[in-house]
Amino acid sequence: MIVCVAVVGHQNNPLYIQSFTEADDALKLHHIVHCSLDVIEERVNNPKKSGTTLNEAFLGLLYPTVNYKVYGYLTNTKVKFILVTTDLDVRDTDVRSFFRKFHAAYVDAVSNPFHVPGKKITSRTFAQTVSNIVGSYGLN
Amino acid sequence: MVFDGRFYANKPELAARRIEAIGYQVGHQLSERYTMERPRFSDHLEAIKFICKDFWSEVFKKQIDNLKTNHRGTFVLQDNKFRWLSRVSIDPSSENETEDPSTPGESKAAQAVSMYLYFPCGIIRGVLSNLGIPCAVSADISSLPTCSFVIRVKA
Repeated sequence: MIVCVAVVGHQNNPLYIQSFTEADDALKLHHIVHCSLDVIEERVNNPKKSGTTLNEAFLGLLYPTVNYKVYGYLTNTKVKFILVTTDLDVRDTDVRSFFRKFHAAYVDAVSNPFHVPGKKITSRTFAQTVSNIVGSYGLN
Repeated sequence: MVFDGRFYANKPELAARRIEAIGYQVGHQLSERYTMERPRFSDHLEAIKFICKDFWSEVFKKQIDNLKTNHRGTFVLQDNKFRWLSRVSIDPSSENETEDPSTPGESKAAQAVSMYLYFPCGIIRGVLSNLGIPCAVSADISSLPTCSFVIRVKA
């Protein structure tokens, strides 16, 4: 189950963060997202160590904690997408497909002429689309 | 903001800056959309080639005809038939010496045409800036209908 998604700008400024749990975990999830930013920077600056394909947007599993798995995705414009899930067995194709749909929703939100680059995304349509993507995750 | 014709008529520099800024935002947003399916660029040249081929095709339905670089941060993108100038008349008097003493060598027609180029220059600057490459972009219309965009990457 996906518990949190986040969009972080190229200066590590938060653009969107949304949790999907009933529990009061918001602060812990924000902290996990924040820590994952360091992992992303390390992955991008040291491509040989991590073993991922150079220049691919999907970064894969960033780091597993006791209860969560954190996945990362870095766009060409240095915007980072973070996905936190509690699932134990996660299929690579599901996560990739999630990020693809999420990227499309992000591009639509940023194309809004009233959106200010660098500021948080306030579009309700984006929030709704993200909820739908999260809801349909893993159902195929 | 009301774009009153009279407000900008005597201040072309203001209008130019405003138009370039609008182009910047458009380029910024278009770059998000058109880089979506692509892996990340590994160097500046790849980003410039992206503009010459994919981006120019999306926006102008054709590619840049010629790319030159001095390998020290300056790139010249030459479009032999820039679509947004295709209906602009080429002033025959610009072939001879101009009568205007204040701007030697540049006719009024050339000045008018250059106003149209602030928007595409802004677009290019917006795209590169969103890819992490700050730069300055200017246009060269010394041989219409060929239009060259000069990109100077800031170190």
